[in-house]
Amino acid sequence: MAPEKTIPTQSLSPIVPTQSVSGRTLMLLIAIMTFLSGVTLGAVVLVQKSAIAWSSEVGREVTIQIRPIEGEVMQSNLRTVISLAKNSPGVANAYALSLDQSEELLIPWLGEGLDLSALSIPRLVIVALDRADSQDIAQLQASVQTVNGATLNTYSVWRQQLNTMAGTFVISGLLVLFLIASATVLAIIFATRGTMASNRSIVDVLHFIGASNSFIAGEFQGRFLRIGLRGSIGGAAASLLFFFGVGITVSNVLPAQSGAQLNALFGTFSLGFEGIVAIAILIPAISALTAITSRLTVQSFLRNPS
Amino acid sequence: MIRFENVGLRYGNDPEVLKDLSFSIKPGSFHFLTGPSGAGKTSLLRLFLLSLRPTTGNITMFGKKINRLNQDRLLQLRRHIGIVFQEFRLLDHLTTFENVALPLRVLGQDESEYSENVKELLDWVGLGSRMNAHPPVLSGGEKQRAAIARAVIGRPDILLADEPTGNVDPELSERLLHLFAELNRMGTTIIIATHELPLLEKFNYPRMQLSNGRLKINGS
Repeated sequence: MAPEKTIPTQSLSPIVPTQSVSGRTLMLLIAIMTFLSGVTLGAVVLVQKSAIAWSSEVGREVTIQIRPIEGEVMQSNLRTVISLAKNSPGVANAYALSLDQSEELLIPWLGEGLDLSALSIPRLVIVALDRADSQDIAQLQASVQTVNGATLNTYSVWRQQLNTMAGTFVISGLLVLFLIASATVLAIIFATRGTMASNRSIVDVLHFIGASNSFIAGEFQGRFLRIGLRGSIGGAAASLLFFFGVGITVSNVLPAQSGAQLNALFGTFSLGFEGIVAIAILIPAISALTAITSRLTVQSFLRNPS
Repeated sequence: MIRFENVGLRYGNDPEVLKDLSFSIKPGSFHFLTGPSGAGKTSLLRLFLLSLRPTTGNITMFGKKINRLNQDRLLQLRRHIGIVFQEFRLLDHLTTFENVALPLRVLGQDESEYSENVKELLDWVGLGSRMNAHPPVLSGGEKQRAAIARAVIGRPDILLADEPTGNVDPELSERLLHLFAELNRMGTTIIIATHELPLLEKFNYPRMQLSNGRLKINGS
């Protein structure tokens, strides 16, 4: 046999072997859990972003409705309201919808092709605010009430419902994340105990040569940290690709009308920087969860090996 | 170095495996531990290795009563003891070099600190050319020499061996015993559990004879 008298210079092999069927299975499981977490987190970010965008857009605008009242001249009331609005603090612009535009708003309820000239249709004045949630609405409201038949609509109830819905979705998403994390922890505990049982001979040898429980737990933790890191990187990358693919599909594959509806719901269907960061944070979070869970499980196993 | 005072050992509610053992072992001595199968040789070795505590009596090792020591202190004391098993217990995924270096790695030493020592030791036990080989491709004798090297790399005060020649041929058994004798000459206290009478005849060391859980020491 040829002599092989060289001192090993490569990095030392890990004391706990990394390549095993249970290791690959756990890595796949962690990748799937990270993918699900990433998709949930991405959806939460998308909904929250859209809700904020909707709320902000709606919050920058209020409308004043002027009902036709016998004895009142609509055009005169319109001018008065626009003037009052423009002179109110915090108002950027105010203009009245034309009669044609007002009639168009009724089409969804009354249908097309009707002659509405015989009807007395309420008229709308659109008031653009300097910023959302302007504090000067109360003054505008007081001014508008001086005009007979005029009422101010701030959409506050609708915005509140929107915020409630978005909040519910975020909480539901966080609950799903918690459940996924719990399932991941349980899977890691089972995998760790299985790995400990299958590597029992290694644990015994380490004990016989004087290794402390802390040292042994550290070796297993290192192994599971590597598994968690690889699995979570794969899962996070897959979830980012998922959102990228859905974005491409919405913009290019779906019919324009469907795409427009989805865009109306989810904006541009882009995660944005914060969404990518949120998913990227899953990688260290799940890796740490894997390492800590396995360490605690190993320490518990070493204290009570039966 | 080792002092047993009225030591008894039983597992659970079973009858006593070891009964009322009282003896002491001096530093630098060499003892064979003999007796028929089931006499309690392995149990006594496990007491020496501090992996069991006695049911009754006191054991003093390295000047410390082990009954009073917590797990961490026992582990620290265990680092003064080397152990060689009949079935070698090498880790198959590590090379011979890595197996032998394992006790030093456990102590947190860096590879650069111990690689020369491990190489010298491997040369000494005749495995210098096999340091990159993994245990599955080593012969029985090579595995046992690697196991001995692993047991002594940390310069233990006591070397325990449980049937170290059980899985090798008679010629190699004798060579291994010479290796243990050489280690003993260098100052290591040696206790070898064996029931191979021909070997005992060739090496004139004191015998600790276990029978029905009781111990008799001959030739000390």
